[in-house]
Amino acid sequence: MPDYELSDDEKDVLQELMNVAYGNATAVVADMIDAFASLSIPHISVISTNQLLSTFAELKSESYFFATQSFSGEFSGESAFFIDQTSAENLAKHLELDDKEDLDDAILELTNVLTSSLTTKLSQEMDTEVSFSLPSLTKVFMTNIHETPTFQHYSQVIVIDTDLNFQDQKINGKIFILTKDESIQWLKTKLNSILELLI
Amino acid sequence: MAQNKTQQHIRTLDIAQKIVANIDNGIIVLDEELYVYHYNKWLEHHSKIKEVDILNKKLDDVFKIGSKTLKRKIRTALRLQTPTFYTASTSKYLIPIKINQIKNALFKYMQQDVSIIPFDEEKGLVALILTDQTIMASTTSLLETNIEIINELNSDLIKERDTIDKKVLVIKFDPTFRIIDVSQALLKLLNYDKEELLNKNFLFHEKYNMPKKLQMQLVQAMQELRVLNFEESTLSAHGHKICFKSTLIPEYSAKGKHIGFIIFRENITDSKHLAQTHEKILASSRSAAMGEMVAMIAHQWRQPLSLINTIMATLKIKKELNTLTENSINEAFEKIQNTTTYLSDTIDDFRDYFKPNKLCTDVNLLSLFDSSIFFLKEEMHQCEIKYTVEIQESLTIKTFKNELLQSIINIIKNSIDAFSEQKMKNKKIDVKIDAKESHISILIKDNAGGIEKETLKKVFEPYFSTKSKNGTGLGLYMCHTIITQHLKGQITMSSVDNGTQTLLELPYKLIKEKK
Repeated sequence: MPDYELSDDEKDVLQELMNVAYGNATAVVADMIDAFASLSIPHISVISTNQLLSTFAELKSESYFFATQSFSGEFSGESAFFIDQTSAENLAKHLELDDKEDLDDAILELTNVLTSSLTTKLSQEMDTEVSFSLPSLTKVFMTNIHETPTFQHYSQVIVIDTDLNFQDQKINGKIFILTKDESIQWLKTKLNSILELLI
Repeated sequence: MAQNKTQQHIRTLDIAQKIVANIDNGIIVLDEELYVYHYNKWLEHHSKIKEVDILNKKLDDVFKIGSKTLKRKIRTALRLQTPTFYTASTSKYLIPIKINQIKNALFKYMQQDVSIIPFDEEKGLVALILTDQTIMASTTSLLETNIEIINELNSDLIKERDTIDKKVLVIKFDPTFRIIDVSQALLKLLNYDKEELLNKNFLFHEKYNMPKKLQMQLVQAMQELRVLNFEESTLSAHGHKICFKSTLIPEYSAKGKHIGFIIFRENITDSKHLAQTHEKILASSRSAAMGEMVAMIAHQWRQPLSLINTIMATLKIKKELNTLTENSINEAFEKIQNTTTYLSDTIDDFRDYFKPNKLCTDVNLLSLFDSSIFFLKEEMHQCEIKYTVEIQESLTIKTFKNELLQSIINIIKNSIDAFSEQKMKNKKIDVKIDAKESHISILIKDNAGGIEKETLKKVFEPYFSTKSKNGTGLGLYMCHTIITQHLKGQITMSSVDNGTQTLLELPYKLIKEKK
């Protein structure tokens, strides 16, 4: 039975890599929304799928926009981006979007930016490449999230919690990088080889 | 060597160019300012615009597109060096391409997924890859519509189920008699929590203690998977007896597999109670009638008894005066004998009136309103009430004689009583009997003042009486029950010309024999 748990050292390296990747995303997001914006230092944790479902249960707002985007390659998986109703409305206000479709598109764009900046940078650091599928968006009610069986396909989940801060309004989003067991195995190997280099 | 040469040759052919020209996707190469550098054949065919006509032009000058968003996406793709996207599900399309597909009547323009991939970082070029997603979008749209319909149906079903749960008394159990569901309505009626009944054996659970005979019937019906109608009673949590009229129905799955049983129950506790009350009322009514009978007998007997008394006194005086002859003794005995026979006959007559008939007989209506009510006629005579009967002599109907007579006595007695409560002249009770086409109509009319409108509404209700004393309030209720239920006729009462008018309508021939 292979061990898919990340050790503390492995988690540390991953956190470092994520911080670098996330810094890259900040500039792009600021450019995308054409305003001074900053992303808070992300809080990164690696949890099991069961823990993930309880994390969902802690999300306060009743309904969320839920965007997913899958990525393939040696490091493959899916990102899930949650943005609550209020944050989405703030985003729409800021981007002066009139209709719902424009807002949906903006959320997808944000998902894409966050997913690709995180996974591209991460894969570059780990000397591999990833390709991205189109993101898709659904609006979910948190009461129904436990009924989504597809989450069970994943074992380990990298959770990146961040705030997007604007001058006058706050937009909060949570991004979850979901990976399957074989990718975790690959990730562990890569993280360990980086660790060896550092030592 | 030859193989290497061929490979080299293929490389020299511009693979990308070939593929770009023939791929089933639209490909545009453009810069951040949206100037077009390449426009592939697919797009030429679909948009009817030649590459030469669009090269070096700005895409937003040729097509009406949201240039602000597109520029932003291009900038992001270049900056991140990863693709950015438009998806058909939210953005519908980027380049307006009209479609004429039979299958897709939903959309006027081709629905597109667009990937914006970094093409030349140095020159700031990106490639837009357009994929036709019309069929997918159309399928999604159809699905969404259907899901909406299903959701509506589902919500209707849930509502209906909720209504059934709240209103219908239902209990469900599996083939092993294990209770699997009980409707809220039934739980409320029995004052139980669902948990108290769920998973319990329906037949042997203490809450549903039912007679052995009924258990056997139920088990047999269940084994034979047939419908069974039965009556049962059970105790509520508060110990109240609740009666049900129930129907056992075998339940099947959508695939026809037997999955258990449902019992639909109807609460008949009230009607059972009513039936018991009705029986009590009938018994009271019979007692009241018996009481009246005794009073009438007493009245009828007073004169003959006084006659016997007089005869005896006369005999005694004659004996004392020694004037008693054998002839006078015989004459006296004969008179006494006649009188006692009359007394005996009176008892027989009264007893017959109140003895319910088992069979219908031919009833001569003139005789009924004349000789049969001789005692009432005498009472009317004493009260100076003029009694007339208008009828064809030969008119007969087939019915239960004594029950009809009991009703008539009641009605006429009511009129007599009404007169006794007031002093007036020209008192009269008229009976008019007409032979109608489909029925016999009997109109009994008095001039004793009539009945108030509000009172009229209640005269056939049990225990309703306007009589100051000795009124049981059951007389007219019984008349109504007898006429409508036993004799299959109708009775109506009205107040006309300062009098009360009672109309009886009876069938000529009562076909159904009384059980």
